Amino acid sequence: MTAASHIPESMLALYVSGDLPVWRRAMIGLHVPRCPQCRQRVEAYRADRAGIREVAAEMPDGVNWNRLAAEMTANIRVGLAAGECVAPRKRKPASMGWRPAAAMAGLAAVLVGAWWLNMPPSTTQALSRAVSAIWNGHGSVNAYPAHDGRGLVVELSSAGIELRENGSTVLGVSQDQAKLVDVSVSVQGSASARYVDDKTGQMTITSVYAQ
Amino acid sequence: MRSRVLIFGCACGLIASGQTLNRKVNLPADSPVTLFSVDWGGTDATARGGAFFVDVHAALSLRNSSQKRVRAITFVVLSQEVTPGGKSSFSVPSLDVAPGEVFPVGIDLRLLRSIAGSAAVEVKLDGVLFDDLSFYGPDNLHCRRTMTVWELEARRDRLYFKKLVETAGNKALQDAMLDSINRQSDRPLQGMQMVRGRATNADPERDVNLAFLEMPDAPIQAMNGMARITGSEAHAPRVEVRNRSERAIRYLEIGWIVKDQLGREFLAASMPADVNLAPGKTSQVGQDAALRFPERTSIQAMTGFVSTVEFSDGSYWIPSRTSLNDSKLRRVVTPSPEEQRLTQIYQKKGLGGLIEELKKF
Repeated sequence: MTAASHIPESMLALYVSGDLPVWRRAMIGLHVPRCPQCRQRVEAYRADRAGIREVAAEMPDGVNWNRLAAEMTANIRVGLAAGECVAPRKRKPASMGWRPAAAMAGLAAVLVGAWWLNMPPSTTQALSRAVSAIWNGHGSVNAYPAHDGRGLVVELSSAGIELRENGSTVLGVSQDQAKLVDVSVSVQGSASARYVDDKTGQMTITSVYAQ
Repeated sequence: MRSRVLIFGCACGLIASGQTLNRKVNLPADSPVTLFSVDWGGTDATARGGAFFVDVHAALSLRNSSQKRVRAITFVVLSQEVTPGGKSSFSVPSLDVAPGEVFPVGIDLRLLRSIAGSAAVEVKLDGVLFDDLSFYGPDNLHCRRTMTVWELEARRDRLYFKKLVETAGNKALQDAMLDSINRQSDRPLQGMQMVRGRATNADPERDVNLAFLEMPDAPIQAMNGMARITGSEAHAPRVEVRNRSERAIRYLEIGWIVKDQLGREFLAASMPADVNLAPGKTSQVGQDAALRFPERTSIQAMTGFVSTVEFSDGSYWIPSRTSLNDSKLRRVVTPSPEEQRLTQIYQKKGLGGLIEELKKF
């Protein structure tokens, strides 16, 4: 607290009346001797208190000054508190404890894992392909040019091979138990997918023919 | 709404359970392989919407009843006789089955077919290739040529790896296996569509010339080539070839490599052609087909290379390992089925297991 930043008048009043907490009173006590403006105000408050005491000595019978002063102090505090209530306040963002968040993340991971493990491999591969395409910014996975709708289309993908007609699959070939290692197409109208069985090492090649 | 979904689900279940799935393996009476046993396991048909998913999980035990070693076998798998234009096949390359030996063939695939008609799965023999390259079977799917090429590639690759061990030691074989595994894992599976016939597209067309990878030992020389590009489609490829060998040629295949706007190269397709090409003669081969890539793909350049040649006497030419060491081909061409099988053995059994396997041949 420097001399350049003055103490609010309400605080000075409470300081003079001895109604501040010890640490705040000490802080203001350090500031006031070095700040002529605050010191002047403190002296003015003290003079007022002295004047009031003199007037209090002439109080009518039945009026207890000490009790009246206590009530006035209490009213001032109530007023200050009410002022804070109606003043615009900064809202703190609602914070959620880390435990509920961790529990929800764990539950989500279990559900996604169970769902993923129970999907057929071909679907998993297709989904992986879709996520990969989105991640790489390739947009729609099957965004092929529009087709005139006549004849069979041989389609290759990392999930396998299939024949399509008018946008629908008419013959699909896939293998759930073996690993797809290659797909190829012949412009004569066929496609092949090469699989290897991890357990036996046997190579198998499945093909579809559009002729 | 919920009750409707439940009723629909129950109806589908009833339809599926009410279908009797007829399953049979059809081998000719004079077949060189006979059916020892068959286990259809979980082969079943499931109705989904307007179609059946036919999951074929069959373990066939076949006996080699011939006097020769079996190297490859192909079956036609039918789930419906009148699928509109569609057939599927199942091949096992890289076999080595002695006469009288029983060998397993696992068929594990999912077919999709129309819900109309009866549900049936039929497995028919299309061909068997023996170690002397002779063949048995109706060959309805032209599997003889395909299986012969696989066998020739297998012999080439086994010989290459055996020589590698002899000349440079086990460490060289290990390095070659690791290099092959890396190439297989680095090679992306490119999605695409292929449609036969003339594609209709309103986008402007442009002609793009094909560059060719020169293979000095190839009996075919590709003179020039071109394809029409429309957006992300390439269609109507045409290639002029010359027979620079001393034997007539009746069949050839050209590999078609495409480079996209990001500089990525991938093997888009193979272009087979039946020809009648006398020594020294030239001919133009082409296909009325279109390759479609995802719309964001922009085709920048194309390269062709000769991948298979069949002479009129029934013998074949395939690229040598030296030719396949071209940097571009190494990036885009998949290793042969045999090389993939050998790398699988290396991964499972280690270098010792692989060397033992090579000694069998």
